[in-house]
Amino acid sequence: MNNLSVEVKQLIIDTLDLEDIEPADIDYEDALFVDGLGLDSIDALELGVAIKKAFDVKIDNNSDDSKKHFYSVKTLCEFIAQSRS
Amino acid sequence: MEFTIKQCVAWGGGLITAQDWQAYAQGEKKFNDSNELPPLKQVPAMQRRRLSPFAKLALHCALTAADECLTTVPSVFASRHGDLAKTSKLISDVAAQELLSPTQFGLSVHNAVGGLFSIYTGNKAPLTAISAGEDTFFVAILDALAKLKANNYQQILLVYTETLVPQMYQQYIAQDEVSIACALLLESTELESAKLEPAELDSVEQALTSELYPDTYSLKIQPNSGQQRLENSQMQVLDFLKFYYNSSEAASISSKRHLWQLNKNVSTS
Repeated sequence: MNNLSVEVKQLIIDTLDLEDIEPADIDYEDALFVDGLGLDSIDALELGVAIKKAFDVKIDNNSDDSKKHFYSVKTLCEFIAQSRS
Repeated sequence: MEFTIKQCVAWGGGLITAQDWQAYAQGEKKFNDSNELPPLKQVPAMQRRRLSPFAKLALHCALTAADECLTTVPSVFASRHGDLAKTSKLISDVAAQELLSPTQFGLSVHNAVGGLFSIYTGNKAPLTAISAGEDTFFVAILDALAKLKANNYQQILLVYTETLVPQMYQQYIAQDEVSIACALLLESTELESAKLEPAELDSVEQALTSELYPDTYSLKIQPNSGQQRLENSQMQVLDFLKFYYNSSEAASISSKRHLWQLNKNVSTS
């Protein structure tokens, strides 16, 4: 568990107003949407905007790739790290 | 047009129960600056997290007033300013050339709370969202009554909500503002009487008749030909709540444009 993942988790909580949820409650590899954390399509848009702002990365809307990047905290962190390098 | 008020639910200024509003109408309790919001525990946390104070006030009153017909009742959502806190935040973001929040954008439109109500209850009945200046509350009743009559609905839900206008717009506000929501479940009196033939009516017991015919109300509107140049300082919803909870027989309320006459027609049969 690195600093980036904690940062991403905190961003998810703050951006999506997840009351009563701590970074530790969000699993690193579990699905963020539907089954896992239970986020929905509006959350996906919101999170996309927040990640663009916070990490200055470009996200291709609606591509299969961005679906993969948004699967879990782990895939998000990998995507951010890769875009930065 | 006559109508009955099946339910009246209001929340604001620390006044929450029907008893609170009665005490308010009789001058025993005052509107205070309490910002207490309805807990809305019936809404799942994942849905509740997106609800602004405006949405919480509106949904609490709507869900309580329409408890017996949540999935079927048509509705009118009314607010003069809407959820302006959200809108002004978006406008500020535009000015600062920030990316806009899709959630804030989606929930800032005037029919957003009606949409949330529809999604949460699964209610697909017709729904309108209106805004009509200082006359918003009474125009909403008028709109609801017109829909009752035109569509032969048996009942309709009216949800009126207002929260304090953000600081940057305060200079334009002429009324004494309060944060409040009020939901009314209005029923048509025409359908009930159409169901019974006069001959049948005679045979119905007096007691039963008064149960069939609760107090009816009527609302009349006239242009205000007087010289009222300023808005009424009191919000119309408070005029209405005082009238309703005082069991007054009549109230007339003037605005810059209109004269509204509310009457209660005590049941005679």
